[in-house]
Amino acid sequence: MPRPASTNLGYTPPDGGWGWAVVFGSFISIGFSYAFPKSLTIYFKEIQEYFSISYSEIAWVSSIMLATMYAGGPVSSVLVNRYGSRPVVIVGGLMVGVAMVTASFGTTIVHLYLCVGVIGGFGLAFNLQPSLTIIGKYFLVKRPIANGLAMAGSPVFLSTLAPLNQFLFDHFGWRGSFLILGGVLFNCCMAGSLMRPIKMRKTTDENDTGKLDVTSQRAGEDESKQSGCATKVNQFIDVSLFKHRGFLIYLVGNVLMFFGFFAPVVFLAPYAKHQGIDEYSAAFLLSIFALVDMFARPGTGLVANTRWIRPKIQYFFSLSVIFNGLCHIMCPLLPGYSGLVVYAVFFGLAFGMVCALLFEVLMDLVGAQRFSSAVGLATIIECGPVLLGPPISGLLVDIFLDYKYMYFACGVMMVLGGIFLYIMNYYNYRWLEKEGKQRKVEELEIGSAKELAANEENKDNEEEIRQNTQEEG
Amino acid sequence: MGSRRALSLVLLLISFIHSGLTQESSPSPQSDPVITRQKAVSIGQNQVIIEELAILTPQKIELLCNLIDIPNNPPNITGYWTKDGQEIENSEESVNRNNEQYILKRTFSIEARDLGNYSCNFRENEAKVTFVLDVPAIKGTRNKPVVSYIGDSVVLECKLKLKHTPNTWNWYKANDTEKVLINVTANPQNYKIVINGSDTKLTVLNLTEEDSGKYICSAEFDIKPRESYVKLKVLSYTEPLKPFIAIVVEVIVLVTLILLWEKCKKPQQDNSSAGENDVCSEQTSKLAGDENNGVNNTARQRKLQP
Repeated sequence: MPRPASTNLGYTPPDGGWGWAVVFGSFISIGFSYAFPKSLTIYFKEIQEYFSISYSEIAWVSSIMLATMYAGGPVSSVLVNRYGSRPVVIVGGLMVGVAMVTASFGTTIVHLYLCVGVIGGFGLAFNLQPSLTIIGKYFLVKRPIANGLAMAGSPVFLSTLAPLNQFLFDHFGWRGSFLILGGVLFNCCMAGSLMRPIKMRKTTDENDTGKLDVTSQRAGEDESKQSGCATKVNQFIDVSLFKHRGFLIYLVGNVLMFFGFFAPVVFLAPYAKHQGIDEYSAAFLLSIFALVDMFARPGTGLVANTRWIRPKIQYFFSLSVIFNGLCHIMCPLLPGYSGLVVYAVFFGLAFGMVCALLFEVLMDLVGAQRFSSAVGLATIIECGPVLLGPPISGLLVDIFLDYKYMYFACGVMMVLGGIFLYIMNYYNYRWLEKEGKQRKVEELEIGSAKELAANEENKDNEEEIRQNTQEEG
Repeated sequence: MGSRRALSLVLLLISFIHSGLTQESSPSPQSDPVITRQKAVSIGQNQVIIEELAILTPQKIELLCNLIDIPNNPPNITGYWTKDGQEIENSEESVNRNNEQYILKRTFSIEARDLGNYSCNFRENEAKVTFVLDVPAIKGTRNKPVVSYIGDSVVLECKLKLKHTPNTWNWYKANDTEKVLINVTANPQNYKIVINGSDTKLTVLNLTEEDSGKYICSAEFDIKPRESYVKLKVLSYTEPLKPFIAIVVEVIVLVTLILLWEKCKKPQQDNSSAGENDVCSEQTSKLAGDENNGVNNTARQRKLQP
């Protein structure tokens, strides 16, 4: 079971009931956040001709949207810390819906950069972070399953948005489609309305928590005298996380991993065509990948929730990353179309495993209280490798005129990241155990000291009462 | 196929004799300099070969079929030419063996009506080479129309499959039975045509509903024009507005339902927990009160006592 101190929410999460409705809301929000920028590529050719621009200029729309979505993480965290998940998601849904409606009336490509890219990106950031945070507030025991189900939104929405976008494009052209998509994105507001803020019901030992608050307040006052700036920032977002050992391990491992994470997805179809496979079979590979991904995510959640894996979930995550990397290294060695199909299946499985656990392990490390700030800081730092990964991989393909070096590079980066995570988490678990034992010893001492103090107070009270009655009498 | 040894038609030499042209393709060539181009394609081990040749101008072209690896190596075989499946009169001739090769060739004078599929055939075996002589094709036409809106503009494109350059491109608007040439100089505020070698773009501005329909792009080659079409559909803004409003209404209804349900459940919870709270708050206030009183008393007592 997770360490008590890091998950001290002050209440016991429901682990069910309305929580499943919240999971559904998160499913929708996460689905739109990850799938929407990728599904816009269907409109690019027509918009490119309409504005008479080059392909790279139109591709910027997607890149700006993704970049803003990741960079908006800390802003989102600050707002969630202040106002809770529900208002932020509803505002995010309104933002992205209005952005698309405005974009449908755009007259230059810069309009699209601003509307779809910047405002849309922020709107999606306001959807992503709160959805992840609120799962940590509603679930503890069944959290991996909840996370797995919510993250399954991404492949499901990608599979539905792609044909939907094609249908809209055929019937309404790009302007009409953007208008209708704006409406569809307003459903994020509906998802947000499901995210009921959880009522904190205090547990019975109020005295203890009261004392803890007093001591932490005094400590806070001392600190504030020393560095007013740091505590002010800390009010908005928990920057002290950068001293948190687990968080730092997660960051370094993930930055390594993300360099090789998305590029293989982007290059799967071009690689297949390069091998001489026709367009439809290449597209079918992506469908296989998405289908396996869809089922791998909740499946991984179920597996991660078992009592054998849950305590050592960090190992499970690092092994998934290594598995993913090995798939990429094996890919160029598999011959022909059937080899690629096998690769697509295993890659879908590995990708789903990593995605399902990506935020669950962060919650496990920092606890649900600080998760909101943690995920904001993590996404803005991961922004770099996520955006740089595919272009660098593309550069490798252009230099060597062969895809296999790119696959080797991606695989190696992921395996390195996975090994780093595995080793560092081994030590982290050991250190946490030691700290846990120390804390228990200290608590026992504090407990006995409190008992003594309470006994003394009682004695004082009894003496006063006796004196009073003596005086009166 | 199995009974014979694998045939291989190895060498296909095609030589064209390019005769000087005037603007109208005239049947008789003028005595201009002759340009001979030779394209040699060697394909091995196939029995039926199809070769596509792009013909841009009226010309004389020599088609050549080379047969090797014939079983029994007879001293001569008979070959003949067919056009579009029909045997060409007086095209049959006897081909002598030459170093284990049999070469059948013929010069054709190609005009617009002569374009088609020319095949060399042999009476003694089933080897066949087909030359497809045609004007360059235009890249696949979408059956689905391009959609745009009233008052907006749209770009229609036509592109040749390979990089040939026609003399010019023409755009026509199809009106039921006839096609009307689009004249940019007469109508500059409504049309713009950009020609870029093997592709062309027609921009239609200030769209109205009447602009819907079929637009025909025509690549003008000396020998024959190549046509293709693009369909345009012009909609009014109310078209996408209807599904948009429907979806927004659905969202508003769902959000209201969800929030109402929450409000309904809230008083229930409040009623059930209010009782507990009252009990809880009474007890805690009692304890707090006692503690406070105790503290105050001791403080007073301590003050009084020196």
